[in-house]
Formats: sequence, C-alpha cells, structure tokens
Amino acid sequence: MSLECMAVMTERKKEGNLPFREEYCLPFLLSAQNSDGGWGYHPESQSSVEPTAWATLALQGDLGRHAEPVDRASKWLRQTQLTEGAWPRTAGGHPGCWVTALACLALIEHAKAPDAGILKGLQWLSDSWPAEGNWWWRLRQRWHKSPGMVVRQDHTLRGWSWTPGTASWVEPTAYVLILLRNIPEQLYPAGASKRRQLGERMLYDRACPGGGWNAGNPMVYGVPGEPRIGPTAWALLALRDYENRPENRTSLDWLERNYENITGPGSLALAHLCFRVYGRPAPPLEPKLSGLYGENHFLRNVVVAAWACLALGSIPAWLRRSSKAEPEA
Amino acid sequence: MSYSNSRLIPSFNRPPSKVAIRRMASYEDDLEGAVWETLLEFQPAVRDKTVLLKPNFVEPDAQGIINTHPAVIRAAREAFLRLGAKTVIIGEGPGHERDTEGIVEGLRLRDYVGRLEDVFVDLNADEVSTVPTRTHASKLKSLSLPKSVLSADFVVSMPKMKTHHWVGATLSLKNMFGIVPGNCYGWPKNILHWAGISRSILDINSTVRPDFAIVDGIVGMEGNGPIQGVRKASGVLVMGDDPVAVDATCARIMGLAPERIDYLKQAALLLGNLQEEKVEQRGESIASVRSPFEVLPAFQGLRM
Repeated sequence: MSLECMAVMTERKKEGNLPFREEYCLPFLLSAQNSDGGWGYHPESQSSVEPTAWATLALQGDLGRHAEPVDRASKWLRQTQLTEGAWPRTAGGHPGCWVTALACLALIEHAKAPDAGILKGLQWLSDSWPAEGNWWWRLRQRWHKSPGMVVRQDHTLRGWSWTPGTASWVEPTAYVLILLRNIPEQLYPAGASKRRQLGERMLYDRACPGGGWNAGNPMVYGVPGEPRIGPTAWALLALRDYENRPENRTSLDWLERNYENITGPGSLALAHLCFRVYGRPAPPLEPKLSGLYGENHFLRNVVVAAWACLALGSIPAWLRRSSKAEPEA
Repeated sequence: MSYSNSRLIPSFNRPPSKVAIRRMASYEDDLEGAVWETLLEFQPAVRDKTVLLKPNFVEPDAQGIINTHPAVIRAAREAFLRLGAKTVIIGEGPGHERDTEGIVEGLRLRDYVGRLEDVFVDLNADEVSTVPTRTHASKLKSLSLPKSVLSADFVVSMPKMKTHHWVGATLSLKNMFGIVPGNCYGWPKNILHWAGISRSILDINSTVRPDFAIVDGIVGMEGNGPIQGVRKASGVLVMGDDPVAVDATCARIMGLAPERIDYLKQAALLLGNLQEEKVEQRGESIASVRSPFEVLPAFQGLRM
C-alpha cells in the first residue's frame, strides 16, 4: 500500500470512517489465522484447506500489504498437498476436487506462475472423473429406476464432483474452470482441454430453465429447479468468457431480480462480485453487509469474511483473466 | 441416545414406545405449552445436559413449507431449558445451500431464539471428528461429524412433515442427513446418495440416534417433496423418544404404510418400533388426525 493510501486510511480511522472491509473484515481474517499458517472455518478451529485458500485469495488482493500471513498460508497449503497431487479437506484427510482447485488457485496467485506442485494438482483434477455418465452407470440406468430417469440433464457432460466417486455438481466444476482459466493452455496436462470443454458444456446443461443455477439439478420430475445465488454466481464467474451467451444474460438478470431479497452475507458478497466482474451496476454492498455483520458477525465464518473482502476490494486478477489471454506475470 | 451413548436394541428385546400427537391449528397456538406438557410425560433426562435441536433447514422458503418453523424450535428450546438443560443449541447443516446464515435470517430465527451467535451452530462449518459408523448398511464405514453433534448429551430431531422424491417421506430419521457436514462432503452431500439414501439413513442414525423427535406437521409438504411439493397442513406436532415410532406414526397420519418405506422397515430392526401394536399413542389418535398426503406416481405403492 502506498504511503498516501496509508495516510488516508489512518485519517479515516481517526474519523471513525474506516471502510467496513478495513475495519472489520480484514482484521477478522488476520486475527483468525492459526499459528500453523492455515485458517479453520472459524477462529481457533483446526486449519482446513478451503478457508485457508479463500483467506489467502482475499488477502492477496491488497498488493503485498499482507505478505507475511499470505506466505505462511501458502507454506501450509504446500505442506498439506497429498502425494497424488490432490488436496484434502484437512491435513492428512481424503482428497476433494473443490479444495484441490481452490488450493491451486491460491498458490498460483502467490507464486505468480504455475509450479510443479500446482501442475500436479491440476493433473489430479484432470484425471479425476465424476462417477456418473460412464458406460457402466448408463447400463444400470437402463435396468433400474434411477436418478437419470427423474432428473433432466445430460449425464455424458461430466464436470467435477465435490468428493471422488460422486457426481458432477455446479460449484466444484466452476472452481476448476476458474482455475483452468488461470493456467496457460500449453501447461495443461493431457486431457485437460477436453475436460474444460465438457465442464463448460455441463454447466450450461445444468442451468435452470429461467436462468441461474442451483447445486446442479435444473429439472426434477419435470419441475424446473429453483436457482440459488451462490451456484449462480460461481457458474457465471466460471463462464465469464461467454458473457454474451443468452444463458449468461438471463442468469445475470435473475441475479439482479433477486439481489434485494438476499438475506445472507455470503450470497450477497458473491452476487456483488459477479455484477462487478460482468460490469453490471449494483447497489452499494457495504451498508447491507455491515448491517448483517452487526447482527450475527457472519456467524464467525472465515469463508464468508473472505468473500466479503473479495467483494469489497478490487476485482481480483484470477477473476479478471480470460482464457484467451496469458496469465499476468 | 446422542453419540456418546447410542445403543442398538434388536426389536425382540425392545419395550413398547410412546408417541404423542398434539393438534395445533397454527404456529400462533400454544406450542410451548404443548411441547412442555409432552416433555413432562416423557421426562427426558436433560438436567445439566447439553441439548442439540436439529431442525430441517433446506433453503429460503417464502411459503413456509420447506423448513421447520422457528416457533416450534423456540417452543422446544424453552421447554428443554425449563426442564433444567444446561445449554440448548440449535444446529443444522443445510444440504443444498451454503449460505446457512441466509436461510436462518430468511426464516427470522433470530426473532424467536435471540442472538444467533449464542444459540446457533452451522453444522456445515463446524469442527469435525471422524467416527466409525455403528452399522454397515451402506458402504460408508466412517463419517466425519460435527463436534457439536458428537459432544451433545441429548439430540432432538425436528423435521418438517414432508414427502420425499427419493425415499417417500422425510421425517426425523431422514432429517439426520443434516448433521453430515458440507465442509467435508460438499453441497449436496452427494456421498450419501451414492452410498444409498436409505442405507445411509440407517448408518447415520445408528451412529447418532436422536434421543427425541418433534415433527412439525402443522404445515408440511406433499407431492414432489422435499423442496418442490405443495403446502399440506396436517395441524399436528408429533413427538416421542423413539424416532422410528414417531416416523411410523407420521407416516400413518400421512396415509403411508411405514413398513413399505424402505429405510423405516430397516430401522425397525435395531433403532426403534415400527409396528402399530408396539406404539402407545398419546394425545390425539392417528385416525382423528389422518390426512393423506399426495405422493408422486413412483410412490403410490406406499399408500396404506
């Protein structure tokens, strides 16, 4: 942070006029970091990969102001990587697709370029297929009444699951697609380009009929699924390269129509971030977010505080990058 | 019997269970009185204990037909505190929606129970411990479960009375899916679907068997439940200390044969009483409150 900037911040703090992000979100995140360098889902809880990745991504946006906590967090993330390349939810646990994608993303931002550990994580993601849609699964569909007969979606379009051995869902797929957008295609492991195309098609296939996304079932028993804010925001952020597609536009419209009814800070922050990335006007976030903070302190949730920091800060580079361009140095 | 003292009792060795049905026309009725009087009958051993209320919160719901109504939660919380419980916390880990705070704010839970930070735990973001499952009905051999659940002395399952498009009905046993944390398994907790929903219900409930169940059947859901169905007012609270017997009673109220609901039939082997003759009804009779629920064509075979 520049000296002028620091002087302004100090002055605003004296006046009791410090922005919500500076006064509450960042101090909360910084004070919640564990001595091992990671973050738990709440202050004083065991370090976990997901909150550590989100907190790292949130703090990285401040141009080196938080270099020390970010360095410690990155070190913790590297230490928790499993030998096969994936990341577990907590140190030594079972691998997860979403945590692997988020850890890679946080480390790319720290390292400024994909290194061996990140590429190994990407390799694992590229090799990690969801359980639905393979030939054995499709054969079973023919013989049994199963979800494939009840939900309307193309199961050959496979994205990423939350945990290995389960089906593709919107959010983990979106996280991996955002990660892929931040890695030069020439560094992709074999099959990653195809996985990316399938993942993008899968997201469009899972869009709800009137726009927006839910966890990943757009139609059940012939009834259109209700979109939800979080999955809609993540899917839109993942598909940002296709901003003129009608699905993107109707989903943004849906998000706009529903913005005023949002009652949770996590959803509010994600929707706002999405509007900013797409260049759509949005009502000021800070008053509503600080109001919610005043009621429940975000239930002391580190992930929510990190999303609030991201939404209130400048648009992070990892959301601005286009797959058509090289990642910034 | 919570996690610390769960016991599996084979059906031949199990005494009869009691289930109370209280008629409640609306959420403005004296719910606190009804729950209090029922707890006096059951005399649960909660003095100086930590009680965890596990409602069913799924997603924001303007019609009030998806989530357990906060008035019922307040009534239960007040009654357990009055019985001498040291602490009564409310814990839930919604299955599809990460924004738990958004759901509880949308429900206005704070207006009913006070500051959420003091009384509410998001089970999707709690610390976890991995424990072996006490049965092996599914391929899950262990589960990572929230410490707030594992450390509770007394667990109360508080579902909404609803039909369910995969298993027929969702009541106090199915409601326990919500203790499985999203921060380990994702949103949805898809590992439970792949392990078999009915079998997972058994393994979860054998590992953390609810000590008590309070079913919000004042307004529930029929048809394409648990999210996309339509309003169904049965006007009852159903309560008891045997979750299988409570669920079986609810099924009968809904016009469904509990022995045809796969997970209930299996649960009767080790977790509680299913047969009508082994359930002593208190309060209203089933016949007086029976109100058949519409079910999807795939579940017509469940009808009594």
